[in-house]
Amino acid sequence: MRLPIAVLGTMILPFLLCPLSAQWIHYPTAGVPRTADGKPDLAAACPRTADGKPDFSGLWIIPTAREPNPNFPGCAAVADEFINIAAHLKGGLPYQPWAAALVKTRQSEQRVNDPMSRCIPLGPIRLHTWNGPRKFAQTAGLLIIMNELDTSFRQIYTDGRPLPMDPNPSWNGYSSGNWEGDTLVVHTNGLRDHTWLDATGNPMTEAAKITERFRRINFGNMEIEITVDDPKAYTKPWTVKIAQVIQLDTDLLDFVCGDNEKDISHLSSK
Amino acid sequence: MPIPLYRCRCFAGLVLIAAAPALVLAQWPSYPTQGVPRTPDGKPNMSAPAPKASDGKPDLTGIWQNDRTVGGTVAARSSANPPPTNEALLAVARRSPFWNLGSQFPDGLPFTPWAAEVHRQRVADNSKDNPDAHCLPMGIMQFHNHGEPRKMIQTPQVIVILYEANAGLRQIFTDGRPLPKDADPWWYGYSTGHWDGDTLVVETAGFRDLGWLDVEGSPLTSGAHVTERYHRPDFGHLDISVTIDDPKAYTKPWTVTVHQHIMVDTEIYEFVCQENEQDAPHLK
Repeated sequence: MRLPIAVLGTMILPFLLCPLSAQWIHYPTAGVPRTADGKPDLAAACPRTADGKPDFSGLWIIPTAREPNPNFPGCAAVADEFINIAAHLKGGLPYQPWAAALVKTRQSEQRVNDPMSRCIPLGPIRLHTWNGPRKFAQTAGLLIIMNELDTSFRQIYTDGRPLPMDPNPSWNGYSSGNWEGDTLVVHTNGLRDHTWLDATGNPMTEAAKITERFRRINFGNMEIEITVDDPKAYTKPWTVKIAQVIQLDTDLLDFVCGDNEKDISHLSSK
Repeated sequence: MPIPLYRCRCFAGLVLIAAAPALVLAQWPSYPTQGVPRTPDGKPNMSAPAPKASDGKPDLTGIWQNDRTVGGTVAARSSANPPPTNEALLAVARRSPFWNLGSQFPDGLPFTPWAAEVHRQRVADNSKDNPDAHCLPMGIMQFHNHGEPRKMIQTPQVIVILYEANAGLRQIFTDGRPLPKDADPWWYGYSTGHWDGDTLVVETAGFRDLGWLDVEGSPLTSGAHVTERYHRPDFGHLDISVTIDDPKAYTKPWTVTVHQHIMVDTEIYEFVCQENEQDAPHLK
């Protein structure tokens, strides 16, 4: 594995990811629009699939203005929203009292119970904010999001199916999307209880419904507007917006969190 | 008595063969698969022609289940059929290619002396270091033979395989790129595919060393080159012929064929091996 993520459970904030370009094979991405000087034209129009819809296919990362940690040279910094999904939400999250107390407890425990510290899934929102890449593959009726993290995947059905009434709870939930013009609107239910939306420990419960609005603004940029409606944990729905930028001429690496994992038995909240 | 090594997922997928499909339907929302050819009585027509992708190639997209007929099956539970014993379950399992690929050959696999010793030791250790038993990726051969379904999604540039078992993920690049000369070693290797008529030929290299091709631990080394030939003869069936060329472990290349059939109107589950994992410290 590339990085013992579980180590992070006992460290406070050096969430790192070492750069891909040095380690993975370069292969030129096909169909990249170029400017006159031959560079990728990130502002070019977004590509479209055969049915005329925007095509989200590609490798994406979340941009960040944070400085890399000098103790880990060559490793990328995380986005603010990975640390706190509400980092740029005015007024913060509208917690129910028990949820506010839970966040306090989680913060006092050094992320000992953070799923990420234990090599178990992060759930759909945190996978958008993690600093490793994710690859979208869009086909008629289905959008796949492949995550470098634990070589995992999420399926978003776009074949018009309704959300199930009472699906088995799962980390990623059950997702169905439809088009509103050039925006893919994805509804998700069937989520597990007591998950973590970020490293702060902001919770999401099984009562949550997520709405994601995916827009590929141009060739190089995607915007995901996320609304969480979780009346059990929050007094009202809240909405955040995150960005994604395209990555070219590279691909996902093999990242297996549980490989040679030695940390979990040493995690301590003290 | 040796402790049966399968964990719950193997148990459900490999051994309780009759029960597994019913569980899938009962628990996961069923939604009709589109474009399924039907017989006059409304059942999926498994022998209808294979669908084609927009580029005219056979479309391998679908959810596929291993036929699992080689090792035999255990009768479904009923009042007339009491639960099978552990010994009976193990006897079936051990005849299966998932457990022992050598069972497919009269003389077993053509191990080099080194590989024969690795295999002997792994069997003697009760397969306690099988990656599957530690929630690690199984590698392509155990995934092909696994009892849990896998979903293939074919696009012009890449074929993605989503494995229900431990939420595995594999990419096969079909955009014409060559195999890299010195790829980072990967659990699944680095795979490129091209079409030979109606057969998808996938070449894979760049494996991690000391992989496990089956539960018994027939090894695969970092020097291996694997060729898979995917052929969908009709709507309902997929045949994958796999040739292992690994001179460090085997005295000659050898080939096995995996038979899979389509599953319609269902989906792969979410399966997280690592969750509440309590077994690994007890494996011995």
